[in-house]
Amino acid sequence: MARAKRSAPARKGGGAKKTAKAAAKAAKAVTKAAKAATKPTTAQKKGTGATRKAEKAKEKAKKTAVRAVARASASHARTARAAARKATRAAKPLRGSTITRRRAPAGRKNTAPGDASLFAPLTAGERADALRTLTEDKRIAPMAKVGRYRVISAEPMTVKPPEPLSGRRLARVVIYDYSGDRCVEACVDLDGNAVAHLRTSRAQPMLCREEEAAAVAIAQADDRVKAELSLSDEPLLAMHYWSDRDTDLAYSRRSAAVLFGRPGERPSLIAVVDLLDGHVTEVTPAASW
Amino acid sequence: MSNAINRASWNVHWKMTESAGLMIYLANYKGRRILWDASLPYVTIDHQVESLTLDEGDNQGHGPFWVPLGAGTQAGPVRVDDFRGGFELAVDFAAGPFAYTQLWRFHSDGRLAPWLTIHGPGVHDAHTYHPHWRFDFDLDGAPGDALERFEDGRWERVGEEGWFPFTGEGDEGGAAWRQIDFGSGASLNIRPHHWEDAELYAIRYHDGEWPPTSPHSESGGQTFPAAYIGNEPLDDKDVTLWYVAHVHYDLAFPFTSGPWIRVDGF
Repeated sequence: MARAKRSAPARKGGGAKKTAKAAAKAAKAVTKAAKAATKPTTAQKKGTGATRKAEKAKEKAKKTAVRAVARASASHARTARAAARKATRAAKPLRGSTITRRRAPAGRKNTAPGDASLFAPLTAGERADALRTLTEDKRIAPMAKVGRYRVISAEPMTVKPPEPLSGRRLARVVIYDYSGDRCVEACVDLDGNAVAHLRTSRAQPMLCREEEAAAVAIAQADDRVKAELSLSDEPLLAMHYWSDRDTDLAYSRRSAAVLFGRPGERPSLIAVVDLLDGHVTEVTPAASW
Repeated sequence: MSNAINRASWNVHWKMTESAGLMIYLANYKGRRILWDASLPYVTIDHQVESLTLDEGDNQGHGPFWVPLGAGTQAGPVRVDDFRGGFELAVDFAAGPFAYTQLWRFHSDGRLAPWLTIHGPGVHDAHTYHPHWRFDFDLDGAPGDALERFEDGRWERVGEEGWFPFTGEGDEGGAAWRQIDFGSGASLNIRPHHWEDAELYAIRYHDGEWPPTSPHSESGGQTFPAAYIGNEPLDDKDVTLWYVAHVHYDLAFPFTSGPWIRVDGF
């Protein structure tokens, strides 16, 4: 009801005066130029002709107000840009001294808790599954057919979001292929029963326990090693080894260093074993290793 | 023993690996993600020739060797102990003349200490240990991270993957490098041990560049992690860090190697 009462006079012709007043008030609130809008009020007192004048004054006041607002906005923008430039200049000499926060694009940030169960050791069945899936892959069929390879490790692996394999049960299998003198590394998707990644390289993975045992047996059977060992010496350790000298066989061939000595003491002898051909390539007193 | 620990504002998981020692994974501090996983992929050992001969070719010494630290060399159970202001995990490894104790220490004030006590005695005196730690920190989530190093008295942003040796400079807390997260403003500050010639390798995380099962990449080539380094930008990316120490054997052994890591901004 109150709203109807206020709008009624405007329909009767006296509204021009009040509208002009309201426009003038609005303009005044924005800028001093809007003060001109108060003139129609005087003109209205002089009759109908004055009403037209008041309308013109209203239009003028409106335009003035719009220009004032535009000027004010431009001024504000200039002020903001100047402040930004100042802030940038101030920050530049301190490059990297403070951590700048940047707003991450929506949906980009990933703070997912991760599934701890995906890190759990492979079960015997999962390990068998991974090896079977891998050796049935056509890409390494020649290796599987010859059967001269060692499984170095089969361990669970996890992939972080947002990678496509994240959240899946994966096994990382590393094989050393003696027939091709190469390393085969694969990621097997146990959920999807598929080889997700396969890579072959000339890298030398660690020795598996069977290779360590083989290296010890080869070294123990070598006549030069036997001649150098004392009665109480025994194999202490087989370590993965490669030589820095390109004239050594161990520079490029899969090798182990077998340490001999008395348990609890420093080794007395080191034998380098070429695991590809199964023979000792170097016998060195430990003190001059 | 459960492999999840929730103490001293930390929530961490652990497991023994086949070759990378005791691994920590999905670790949160005050309820927010700090790291995806961290491990000790290997400790290589170099030997130096103690006497000189006339034949220069004989003076090069032998290349490095190493033995995996894992279930095969574990010399006792994993111990979880509380200490004043935190808790720690410890495990011993023994392999012939080499013996180690791996430690993960978590402090309630946000400090993390991945350490390795090297006992020796080794093959002979002239040898150097190179423990390699790998950290996949995910500060408040994987992306949006960057690396900075303290240089010429201030923190400098690292643009690309690379190798960043410790120059002796550090901030007031001794940190020489820090990984920062743009979204939260949090940082992980890494303070190296001053007596181990530490260096840091920073690599952009890639699916497929998993922790290597050996330092040996190919004959005559770079070893890992150097073999992973390219020219990829690190700014605002998911970053993986390798902390490598170089510890020469001496009479003062055992020596405890490894950095201090401090969480800031959480």
